[in-house]
Amino acid sequence: MADTEAKEELTAAPQLPPLPPLDMSWAKAPTERPPRPKIGEEGLTLRLADHGSYGWAPDHWPYENDTPRGAFPAADMGLPAPYTIYEKAEVWADNAADLYELAIKEQWKPATQIAWNSIEALPEHIEYALDQIFSNISEQQYNSNAVLMGWLKQISYGYHEVKLYLATQSFDQARHVEAFRKRALANGGGLGVQTPGFFSRAVMASFKFTELIVYTNIIRASFLLALCEQSDKLARSKADRQLFENTANDLRRHLAYGIEHLKYYLQTGPQRRAQVKNWLDRGEVMMAADLQRDKPLREAFILALGDTVAQGKERLRALRQAQLEKYLLTLEAATIYDRRPLVQHRLQEAVEAP
Amino acid sequence: MKPELIEQLRKETAGEDLDLSWLEAPAAQRGLRVAPGKRGLTVEDIATESYGDIPQQTRNQTGRMRGAAPRSDAQSTQKIWGSKAAVWSESAMLLYEEAVQRQWSSATDIPWHEMPELPEELELAMSQLCTFLTQVEFIAGDVPGQYAPNVSGEYFEIGLFLASQIMDEARHLDVFRKRALANGIGLLSAGPGAVGLLTAQDFTEMASTLHLVGEGFVQSMFRMGELFAQSEVDKRMFRLAAQDESRHVAFGVMHMKYVMDTQPERRDEIHTYLDRMEGQIGGGSAQAGLTGGGPTAEALAILLGGGTSESQLREGYGKLLAIRKRQVNEYMHRLEVVGLGDRRQRMAPMMQMLLDPPRN
Repeated sequence: MADTEAKEELTAAPQLPPLPPLDMSWAKAPTERPPRPKIGEEGLTLRLADHGSYGWAPDHWPYENDTPRGAFPAADMGLPAPYTIYEKAEVWADNAADLYELAIKEQWKPATQIAWNSIEALPEHIEYALDQIFSNISEQQYNSNAVLMGWLKQISYGYHEVKLYLATQSFDQARHVEAFRKRALANGGGLGVQTPGFFSRAVMASFKFTELIVYTNIIRASFLLALCEQSDKLARSKADRQLFENTANDLRRHLAYGIEHLKYYLQTGPQRRAQVKNWLDRGEVMMAADLQRDKPLREAFILALGDTVAQGKERLRALRQAQLEKYLLTLEAATIYDRRPLVQHRLQEAVEAP
Repeated sequence: MKPELIEQLRKETAGEDLDLSWLEAPAAQRGLRVAPGKRGLTVEDIATESYGDIPQQTRNQTGRMRGAAPRSDAQSTQKIWGSKAAVWSESAMLLYEEAVQRQWSSATDIPWHEMPELPEELELAMSQLCTFLTQVEFIAGDVPGQYAPNVSGEYFEIGLFLASQIMDEARHLDVFRKRALANGIGLLSAGPGAVGLLTAQDFTEMASTLHLVGEGFVQSMFRMGELFAQSEVDKRMFRLAAQDESRHVAFGVMHMKYVMDTQPERRDEIHTYLDRMEGQIGGGSAQAGLTGGGPTAEALAILLGGGTSESQLREGYGKLLAIRKRQVNEYMHRLEVVGLGDRRQRMAPMMQMLLDPPRN
């Protein structure tokens, strides 16, 4: 709105009732007066702004409403909110603030930043095979995103860095949903067959936030990232390569949050290792169920990866091994070093005989 | 798909275990070749042919996305809303693409290095206003987020839009926090906040309370940000935030319009949500008054008048009343657009007195 327009509005101002006495008690709030930040090349980042006590996230957040961290709480806080997460260990990752800023910097626009016109007609069976794979990615990201969005209202306001970061992850996943759908509909194909949904069901049924992160940001993200990183055999155009590269870049942030969170969760409660083991067991079994029962996806990979069926099978096995390896390395980064021999038999089987 | 190619694939070495029925007899439409238009390849572009057939009702309780081929053994949840009217907004596709294109960075798109030193009373007032805004903005992310797991893949564009709103609200929480912390004051007094918005029990109730009222009132205020912004930093911040809020309000307005067009029997029910928001039920905070009372109002009056002297406060409160008038009249306009023009007669008296005469 222009200045003049705003000023014109004032001519229509109604009659003013008697003025309330000047109070300004809010200005006397005993909160920290931070120094003016020195703005660097990255601009005014969250880390720069959250100086001193503003940057300190307590182990337990005491306020049940939306009081911002560092503000002086109201005497009457109104309705207690439905948040269930008040413990830092349940959501925290030291890199959340940085990942938030990075995600904003790295946002991409599927409509205009993918070279859609670079896609050329492919043999029908290859196009349909690729579209089956794209359909699968679109569906799994919709599931991860829908469930993640639902968890936001569980997280109390003491950990705003995490809420902010998760908003970027949700927006990334939304773009994955539409970008891969667009690709499936752009070149003479269409959507494929839906997934069996075992893993998605586990995501929806997560009882704890960390459990959700184990499924979406550790297991699913590492499998999908490995796929994107191994996509040289799948991508047939500049557009395909851009899709996989951009998605991989986003997934590295999702993985980075997952790793740091899981690390923090375990460091602050070594007894939680048993819980995490249970979640990994369950996630692996559900992932294996999808891989083993998703015949269209298996066959699509075979056709899209190889010049022959035999070569396709060989490359699918290599892909599955790379996915398992990425997952195990992710766990190691999160201080879980002993998983390799504990990987669920079903998943091992799905990888060795895909 | 040529049957001979399928046969050839099955006959290849190692091809004996291939089923290929998904290739041979696809249950989803094929042959689509959607090309990008002037705005690139948008979600509207791909909502075409069978992929653009958005069902009024769906029994799809699985994760299947609209247009994909079903599996008879897919996991089912019984948690997904099966009616288009429960969530739909005709503007969702357009607004989602606009949101993707118009993302901005609170770190780099605000000229923080140009921040002038302000008289202390003005800086305190701006910090108090920003404390209020950083407190309430992400509630508008938590609220729609809670419904996302219920949004069917048949209506996935709604899920996409909600994610964009959550992203916007994160940036608002962030930019107002940064503004409060950027000029030597910091955060000040928190208020009771906007947690009441989380009590919404269905999507349409949310659109009534959050989009039509809560975000609408904030949008009107941001659009008049030129009046209380003290520098280019503040002006840009409010301008960019207003642009985002406009999308959220437009989404909610179009959802409400869809509901009123397809489920007119919900009219009285919706009025009761608005009664509550306008403070007519009693026993709780009136969310429509969030920007109009207490410390936020005093801070705004100081900013609008340019200081704390009696004449400045008089001027400030005068301008605040003009903002309030604009908020109420823009609210009335939204109500008329969605088909709730009869609200004019039911509106809370304190708001009704600010209404302009009806346009003919």
